[in-house]
Amino acid sequence: MTGPHSDEPGGEVAEHLGRLLEDDPADLYENAPMGYLSTLPDGRIVKVNRTFCAWTGRLPADLLDTRFQDLLTAGGRVFHETHMVPLLRMQGAVREIAIDLQRIDGSVLPCLLNAVELRDDTGRPVLVRATLFEATARRRYERELLAAQRLAEESEARSRTVQKVVFDLAAATSEEDVAVVIVQRSREVMKARGAALVLVDGEADDPQALPVLRPVRSEGLSRELLRRLRGAAGSRLALELAQGVRSILLDARLRGDQPELAAAMGEAGIDELVVVPVSADSKRLGVLVLALGDGSPEGLISLHEPGARRVMPPSEVDLLYTLGRQAGQALERVRLHEEMVRAGERSTFLLEAARLMAGAADVEETVERLAELAVSRLADVCIIDLVTEHGMHRPAARHRDPGRQHLVDRLRAYRLPVQAGGHPGLLALREGRTQWVREFDEQRLTAMTLEGIHRETVRKLCLRSVVSVPMAIEGRRLGVLSFGADKHRQPFSAADVEMAEQLALQLSQVVDKAQRFEFEERTSHTLQDSLLPPAPPHLPGLRTAVRYVAATQGVDVGGDFYDVVRLEHGLVGLSVGDVVGHDITAAAIMGQLRSVYRSQMVDQLTPGVLIDRLQGGWELFGLQRMATALFGLLDPASGELRLASAGHLPPVLCVGGTAEFLPVRPTRMLGAPPAEGPTAEWVGVLPVGATLLLFTDGLVESREADIDAGLDRLLEVVGRSCSSDPDELCDRLLGELAGEHRADDIALLALTRV
Amino acid sequence: MASVSVRNRVNQSGVLSGRPMLFAHGFGCDQTMWRLVAPEFEADHRVVLFDHVGSGQSDLSAYDFQKYASLSGYASDIVEICEELGLRDVVLVGHSVSAMIGVLAYHRAPELFGALVMVGPNPRYVDDGDYVGGFSRTDIAGLLDALDANHLGWSTQMAPVIMGNPDHPELAEELTNSFCRTRPDIAQQFARVTFLSDNRADLDGIDIPTLVLQCSMDAIAPDSVGEFVHRRIPGSVLVQMAATGHVPQLSAPEETKAAIRAFLAR
Repeated sequence: MTGPHSDEPGGEVAEHLGRLLEDDPADLYENAPMGYLSTLPDGRIVKVNRTFCAWTGRLPADLLDTRFQDLLTAGGRVFHETHMVPLLRMQGAVREIAIDLQRIDGSVLPCLLNAVELRDDTGRPVLVRATLFEATARRRYERELLAAQRLAEESEARSRTVQKVVFDLAAATSEEDVAVVIVQRSREVMKARGAALVLVDGEADDPQALPVLRPVRSEGLSRELLRRLRGAAGSRLALELAQGVRSILLDARLRGDQPELAAAMGEAGIDELVVVPVSADSKRLGVLVLALGDGSPEGLISLHEPGARRVMPPSEVDLLYTLGRQAGQALERVRLHEEMVRAGERSTFLLEAARLMAGAADVEETVERLAELAVSRLADVCIIDLVTEHGMHRPAARHRDPGRQHLVDRLRAYRLPVQAGGHPGLLALREGRTQWVREFDEQRLTAMTLEGIHRETVRKLCLRSVVSVPMAIEGRRLGVLSFGADKHRQPFSAADVEMAEQLALQLSQVVDKAQRFEFEERTSHTLQDSLLPPAPPHLPGLRTAVRYVAATQGVDVGGDFYDVVRLEHGLVGLSVGDVVGHDITAAAIMGQLRSVYRSQMVDQLTPGVLIDRLQGGWELFGLQRMATALFGLLDPASGELRLASAGHLPPVLCVGGTAEFLPVRPTRMLGAPPAEGPTAEWVGVLPVGATLLLFTDGLVESREADIDAGLDRLLEVVGRSCSSDPDELCDRLLGELAGEHRADDIALLALTRV
Repeated sequence: MASVSVRNRVNQSGVLSGRPMLFAHGFGCDQTMWRLVAPEFEADHRVVLFDHVGSGQSDLSAYDFQKYASLSGYASDIVEICEELGLRDVVLVGHSVSAMIGVLAYHRAPELFGALVMVGPNPRYVDDGDYVGGFSRTDIAGLLDALDANHLGWSTQMAPVIMGNPDHPELAEELTNSFCRTRPDIAQQFARVTFLSDNRADLDGIDIPTLVLQCSMDAIAPDSVGEFVHRRIPGSVLVQMAATGHVPQLSAPEETKAAIRAFLAR
């Protein structure tokens, strides 16, 4: 300003300037363009300029002796005590402290403050001098800057959250995993007291039915609140789902509409519930519920006034909506994955079940093994009921966990009255339809069970889902196949039900076949027993023994027979034969054949003639199957013996420990077109002490060896065992030749001349 | 893990065999707050000073937003310091929020502590029904604002000051409010945890000698709060100080020292 080329102020202006520059220090102090004040170390103002008074709207007299900190806003006061006072004491000065003064009218004046502490020789504080600059515009600018920065940070934090969620969800392989991620992350983001993921169980048959809600995971929510939430949401859930992100405030309206829910919220210190739809494409899968309340999860006091309505910023709504969609997509993905895994398990199971049933020996064993297989694969409990002529019968009841088997054993022993109304197994049987209770609650459980030990046992099993499939063939009820899933398992899906139905169909066929078999077997044996002749009559001069042994394998009886008949003049008629086939028809024809042949024997025909007659009249007699037979006529007094064979194996003669086949020349089988000429007879004598053995091929045929080997063995055994006791011989033969497993029936007729 | 002493910038002085006195600074600055008081006890005590993690010269990398989301994180640090140094029968002198952190540390490991000195304690700053903590929620929001405003100012002002005086770093140090400076996000959380905690229930069950130092005209811990704390701790000694404000160890070190001395002599 004083350079040689500057314009010199002239005249009056110069004089005025001169006056100003002479600086009346008092004026400079009082009217400086900044607030100026001096305080004692405790803050009491001892000197203050007019500018400061004007800014604060107070008179100097009011300010003197007032503590400087009392002119600050509450926040400013705290900052003063916690920062400014220590800094002044320790540094002797502070610079550019942002501090807000409160004007007398209550308005706020943002300032920047510089201060120095003046100390005496001992370092003790004596005075503080402070200057204040108004910083309204600057602070507004800073505030905007900060707000923008915060917004950017929030937006970045949101993207980070979404990224983290997407990352975590990508690693999720189960519904539970997804729930953990989404509940935890959303809770963090919202600083929520608690959060829960509640899913709708789809696949409901009835679109009108209320959706079944299933809380998959919850954190920080009381059981009571969850229960109330579930109850309250039930009827309105579809509505809630359609609404997008919604906020339910604990207010007078809620207290009126949902008093229990409101009470539970109040109890838990929650004043707002945020409901976020969880969806994939257009599919609404469930909701994420966040509980907001006074105080953070760490127990800090909330800055919001209790009960004050908080407006959710749009950015938060967007974020929650995004999280809901991400969760929904992840759920769809893991469900698809789980379904694929389960589909694989199901086909493996069906295959194993089919294998098991194909190799089944009897029904009881089959159902037991099937139940065992079922609980190792697809259910926690498997119970199989069969309908028998004596009523319902429960041959299998298994639990996956051997430790809980005693519970299903109790159910197994329990006799259900047939009229037990809601029992799914009985219902399935009665209605002939699958009963599928996807998820049941206490109320449903009560309906499904009988009061007392039955209900108590079912409750202890912690079942959540049940499928009962009836087994029936051609309208005939065979039984019920029931599966139960407990709380550790997903409820049964439609695919599970379908598999249970397939299994029931397979098992029905097994049970049906077995039941038919059993019936037929029983009938055949009854028939056969009634058709076989009674014990042979006592015949003078002869000891006789007969045996009939049924096959151990296969399902049917055979058509083997033997007969010993006393004729006139002391003669004895002998026969052994085998009607083709192993079934009830064979047994029946055997009976017919015996009647026919006995009627012919009245005429005391020799065996060859008998065969010719039977051959000739075969069609007339109405015998529908062919048969092999060996007939004999013996005179016990003389020992004269005549034998003839229609395609039958030759008899064995044992004399003095030597066994041989008698060379009876067989003609064609009975029922085959007759051969030309009369049937040849073997005629000889049965010496006293000799034994004649007639048998059917079951004795010499086996799967392991051919028939010649069997015949050789027969001769060997007879030679060694032959005595004067034909009974003993029969026992020995059966003991040594018949073995444990017989493919065919065996008929034996042995006689010894004494 | 780095040692607790490094993490919390522990400084020891005085008689190593003497009774340990552990000084805990409050919200705002750091252990230098005690520089006018602590030396008094060096003659016959083992004096231990430290910075809370996040404050002063502590290891900022040890700051964990989860751990320090509540005062118990700080309390566990105090217990760790005592354990690492092998301190027993400790006189724990806590200022402001650290008076309450001290109470939490005592509950965590009562066997370590022999006496509590609570300087300007306030177990709950926010008024609650009949209880007057001295602040409304709006006041606390204002404080958080004030912190914001200052951090913004400092961060923009810091650089030129230091760069302008490369030859005189001590001058830069003097002028940058350094004792009370920390990362803005940490200061924000510490302020929230300090002013939004409610530790009234933790005052129950203290059965070691306890001194409550109550300043006059303390905007942060009103007289009624000092009385409340005194009433809740049976057998505690309440000393109403002539000193005004909230920082008697700086504004009235002599009175503070005398009060503590008298208490310890009982």
